[in-house]
Amino acid sequence: MSKAPLEGIGVISFGTGAVIPDFGKILGEFGADVIKIESRENLDFMRTIGPDMNNIHGFNESNRSKRSFGVNLKTEKGKELVKELIKIADIVGENFRGGVMESLGFDYENVRQIKPEIIYISSQGFGKGSPYSEYQAYGPMLAAASGLLYLWAHPEDPYPVGANVPIPDHIASKQAVFAVLAALDYRRRTGKGQFIDMSQVEVAASLIGEYYLDYSINKRVPKAVGNRNPYAAPHNCYRCRGDDQWCAISVFTNDEWHRFCHAIGNPDWTKNPKFADTVSRLRNVDELDRLVEEWTIERDPTEVMNTLQAAGVAAGMAQRAVDTINDPQLKWMNALIELDHPVAGKRLYPNIPFRMSNTTLPPSRPAPLLGQHTEEICRELLRMSPEEIQRLKEEKVLDTA
Amino acid sequence: MPKEEEGALSIYRVLDLADIKGTYCTKLLADQGAEVIKIERPKGGCPTRNIPPFAGDVPHIEKSLYFLYRNANKYGITLDLELPDGKYLFKKLVKTADVLVETYPPGYMTSLGLHYEVLKEVNPKLIMASITEFGQSGPYRDWKGSSIVHSALSTTMISSGFAEEAPVNLPGTPSYDAASIIAAISIMAALYQRATTDVGQYCDVSVHECSRLGLYPWMVTIYSYALTPDGPPPAPEGRLGASIYPVYPCKDGFIRVVALTPRQWEGLVRVLGEPEVLRLSEWQDFIYRIANAADLYALMMEFTTKYTMAELFEAGHREGIPIVPIYDIADFVNSPHTKAREYFVEMDHPVVGKFDYPGPPYKWTETPCRTRRPAPCLGEHNEKIYCQELGLSKDDLAALRQTEAI
Repeated sequence: MSKAPLEGIGVISFGTGAVIPDFGKILGEFGADVIKIESRENLDFMRTIGPDMNNIHGFNESNRSKRSFGVNLKTEKGKELVKELIKIADIVGENFRGGVMESLGFDYENVRQIKPEIIYISSQGFGKGSPYSEYQAYGPMLAAASGLLYLWAHPEDPYPVGANVPIPDHIASKQAVFAVLAALDYRRRTGKGQFIDMSQVEVAASLIGEYYLDYSINKRVPKAVGNRNPYAAPHNCYRCRGDDQWCAISVFTNDEWHRFCHAIGNPDWTKNPKFADTVSRLRNVDELDRLVEEWTIERDPTEVMNTLQAAGVAAGMAQRAVDTINDPQLKWMNALIELDHPVAGKRLYPNIPFRMSNTTLPPSRPAPLLGQHTEEICRELLRMSPEEIQRLKEEKVLDTA
Repeated sequence: MPKEEEGALSIYRVLDLADIKGTYCTKLLADQGAEVIKIERPKGGCPTRNIPPFAGDVPHIEKSLYFLYRNANKYGITLDLELPDGKYLFKKLVKTADVLVETYPPGYMTSLGLHYEVLKEVNPKLIMASITEFGQSGPYRDWKGSSIVHSALSTTMISSGFAEEAPVNLPGTPSYDAASIIAAISIMAALYQRATTDVGQYCDVSVHECSRLGLYPWMVTIYSYALTPDGPPPAPEGRLGASIYPVYPCKDGFIRVVALTPRQWEGLVRVLGEPEVLRLSEWQDFIYRIANAADLYALMMEFTTKYTMAELFEAGHREGIPIVPIYDIADFVNSPHTKAREYFVEMDHPVVGKFDYPGPPYKWTETPCRTRRPAPCLGEHNEKIYCQELGLSKDDLAALRQTEAI
């Protein structure tokens, strides 16, 4: 067993919302020292969606395992302090609206003057060079601008709405982590840093590359197919017993079909030639789905899922949070951890989602209060005297918890 | 193997035994210049070669669009791991490799005698990642997965679509891609660590666990924050996609609006010409707007339908309210954005021909990250890898073909 993979790596995070905060969290969980730059003058917008900025669920999940440096970037002294931190850092991440880092003087061109080997990642909605590079953008908009949202609907829906979920934000954050780790490995070998210009609309697009090929090669504009699949049936999300309870079922091969029929007790209709093979089942898919739902509606989704999985058929209930908490496999994997946050108290958060045989990761830490680590960062990293720290607090350069 | 360009990971060799669960993982490594060798069974190749649709709508192992997209930049060889010759050659390859990614069901590699404990004897520096549907152990270890099943389990679907209708699946295979990206992160962390420790390791990645992390990691935390000791359980999550991030019709399609703050709402009212009816104070409250989304929709469409998607996109930027067109696939491909960023690159595939290929989601200043070469045909690089890299003769290769080991 050895030390954490990123021990000794310093990260300066100018993040807001989901993408760069979640990115910083993952680096922090790998042992990097991640410092979040924030202040009352310029709050991460996730701190503003509830009455107490230190007690926001999404914020406190995406900002774990990092330190908060409360510093007002509208002051020259504040900027100077951040420059000093960048000089001893390895990675800078930011996802403000395009142009904001330039106006603060912390864009890549400026940062590389003070730290040539810095690895700098910008994550904007569209990215540099796009006509929309300075447009404000949130995840649900980038799903829309990529064509992903258009396909995320039932064919009969009046328009696509997706879900209460900011896809592709949490894919983008992981793409960003992968990218800086690759850049870090390159720097280890060559000493060279670089600028990574990530486009979140292209992150959304990366999830559906085959649809663009359908357009490019087959000259076709793909339409939404909802829960159906052009080469599998049954393939849908079926209503189960209870209030808004559902279970997804997919049957791809004839072997799976026979297992499915057996699992639901071989009712007569399953012997109808209309459902004998995939092509026939697809041809009669409306009737098939209705018959399958006659079976599922009598059972709760857990029973549907367990019965079919026991027979070797892919099935999964549409989980809510409480189902995730009770999921036996996720329990087995310790997929959720409880952390005690000084304001929010004991709450559940997702754990690191993989196991490495030869790496021990440090325990996850709760999200910082605004400015919680300002003084210790001033003392330890910037070697400032208590008097100077006090003076800068009074001058409203520094924010402390 | 000739190094065409120096990518961030071009010193590494990666063996790819991945199906739908991990093809995107090795693509990420290949996009950074790693030499990824896709190892496929001689008969029929990787199962993802059978995923429709196909180029020209003709089922063909070289024409699956899913396969073509997620295997660009890789090399391809064939090898039957169940034959003794196959195992022997595989171990020779493992000796030369930095990373192995495999996605077989739990226990399969062990049944072949090719599990991590064996392979680390062959190459102690090897980093091996296994991506499985539910994990290497646990009560669901042998459960079956599919894209829709993981979407449902991920907590993403239950809040999707309109109330009363079935939750709706996402396009593509986002759960598998999330697991792929997360596996690539663990591989990078292991490689970075290996530079100081000089030993490899094993990474166990479960799609079931990764899907919620990639799609919506906040669901459980939000629920947990709503719990009060001895209080009632929180209300179930509703189908709020249409009200939190509302969609409105316009002249030539639909737009999506993100008005979370009062300032953003005021910007939206300005974009629509400040109609009196939208200036009523109750509409300024975000929660009220969510609760009365249907009424608001009826009101809004009178104004939004006066404009085109492009007009509202522009006006939203001017007034500080994020508005975006809901593009279909053609709209995105033909948008000024993709042209300006050169997102699509033309490539020539020996069977499919020339077509435009989506690139990686970022631009790098020092190490180029781009689509360099189309997906390999089945066994395309057998001679290159077996003869030039492992030193086999052409006669050896012919004999291996004869026994169907390759």
